[in-house]
Amino acid sequence: MANVQMQFEQFNDTIRLGRFEENATLREKRDIIRRKLKANLPVVFKKYNEICPEYYFLDQGSYEMDTGTKPLDGDYDIDQGLYFLVSITEWPDPVKLKERVFEALDGHTNRVELRRSCVTVFYSCNDEPLYHVDVAVYSESSMNTDGKSYHAKGKQHSLPENRYWEVSNPQQLSDTIFDKFPGAEDRKQFRRVIRYWKRWKVVNFTAGGASAPNGIGLTLLTYYHFQPRYTDAFANKHNDLRAMRELVEVVLASFQLVYDEDEKAYVERLIVKLPIEPWNDVFDRMTARQMRTLKDKMTVLKDALVYAEGVADTRAACERLQMVFGKDFPVPEKQETASVHPPAITSSGNSA
Amino acid sequence: MSSDRSMWPYTFVRPGGFHFEISVPVWLIMQRFQQSEMHMAEAGGVLLGRHLRDGSAIIVDDITTPLSGDRRARVRFFRAQRRHQAIIDEAWRTSNGTCTYLGEWHTHPEPIPTPSAVDWTDWQRRLISDQYSEPIFFVIVGTKHTSAWEGRRDGGIVPLSLIQR
Ligand SMILES: [Zn+2]
Repeated sequence: MANVQMQFEQFNDTIRLGRFEENATLREKRDIIRRKLKANLPVVFKKYNEICPEYYFLDQGSYEMDTGTKPLDGDYDIDQGLYFLVSITEWPDPVKLKERVFEALDGHTNRVELRRSCVTVFYSCNDEPLYHVDVAVYSESSMNTDGKSYHAKGKQHSLPENRYWEVSNPQQLSDTIFDKFPGAEDRKQFRRVIRYWKRWKVVNFTAGGASAPNGIGLTLLTYYHFQPRYTDAFANKHNDLRAMRELVEVVLASFQLVYDEDEKAYVERLIVKLPIEPWNDVFDRMTARQMRTLKDKMTVLKDALVYAEGVADTRAACERLQMVFGKDFPVPEKQETASVHPPAITSSGNSA
Repeated sequence: MSSDRSMWPYTFVRPGGFHFEISVPVWLIMQRFQQSEMHMAEAGGVLLGRHLRDGSAIIVDDITTPLSGDRRARVRFFRAQRRHQAIIDEAWRTSNGTCTYLGEWHTHPEPIPTPSAVDWTDWQRRLISDQYSEPIFFVIVGTKHTSAWEGRRDGGIVPLSLIQR
């Protein structure tokens, strides 16, 4: 009923984080890391009497997909792919390659970490996080006999079974996701809905808490279940509220009972498989308790969306949406929503 | 009484599929005057609110309740003009003409309210004599149900159907 499309689009404009091409500040921060690696990698490899392999960079993550949202705490997250022209047989231990990257970046800021999936450089100012750059290391596809690119996984001191090359192709993943919606207008709504999820996540889960669903999971839920919705498709009048409400309802219905070894009981889980190799469940690291919390919070979100769709008053709908999407969701003043009328003159009244 | 955030407003469907909605804060006020007990007198007042710009709905944002000068009995309510009109004028002025007079409300000591002969006569008279932006609404708060009618200057009065939640 209530038409809140204007408020949804305003919300999208507020939370949207542009791509690198549009955002000079973030592009500059990315380029600092690229320059640092260019200068230091040859030196580090030489130190170990190794020849520095050729490599190139690729943007990845939400910047590349244009599904990024501005962080609430100011901690921007920049994703870089670093593709070495080496085969996984030449470098059987992926952590060794990551150690070279780590060494090339170490000391650049006072916090650089070699993590399971990337090497991360943290930037802060007076202990306030400003941004961090995640550098994911790959073995380039043309170098491998099977023609696949591989992502270097594992940390220093990881057991051998936890250091491995995992088939991974972020570009193919991104192409797969967006090719599902070839129409330009459908695709715009698809991206907006992903951003609404992401902001909902930041507002409703404690910062840095491991309990929050990851961004790729929310993106994939949208990929699997989103349907474009319009109030008038011929005039390209979108209906983001309906698209989002239907999506959340389908997602809630897709929780399934799975036996949980830790809880020794059947628990409800969302299983969200990567649509390309290695086909893994991107939520598989969430505990049964985190899954329950996720379902509870999604139910609160659904109730708010149903309410906003059911009331006639735009303002009442927006007030309710602001409770789940946070203060960046605009609530119009009463006057903005109403037409102007001449003064009324009434008479006394009798009723019985 | 809690203002439960999941509480729905009272939304009625108007001719043409448009809506007339009694907001939650207004409903909470009306509820206080429901004649649920024998000793409670009839109450009433005027409806104030917005015509949404896109024409999709008319929203009741505020109401007046019995004021000094009004007369209340078990099945009779007389609303005196002056003090209610002053509130209408004030709301109109402070909202730059967007919060406007939307009609009248009163209570009935019956579960499913129907307008009395006195009500009909008064509504018909008001539709012809008063100055207002069309349409206006008449709300009767019963002990179980609340009903609404829509009136036009030509004297036509039609009942509205409530959306069940
Ligand atoms: Zn009556």
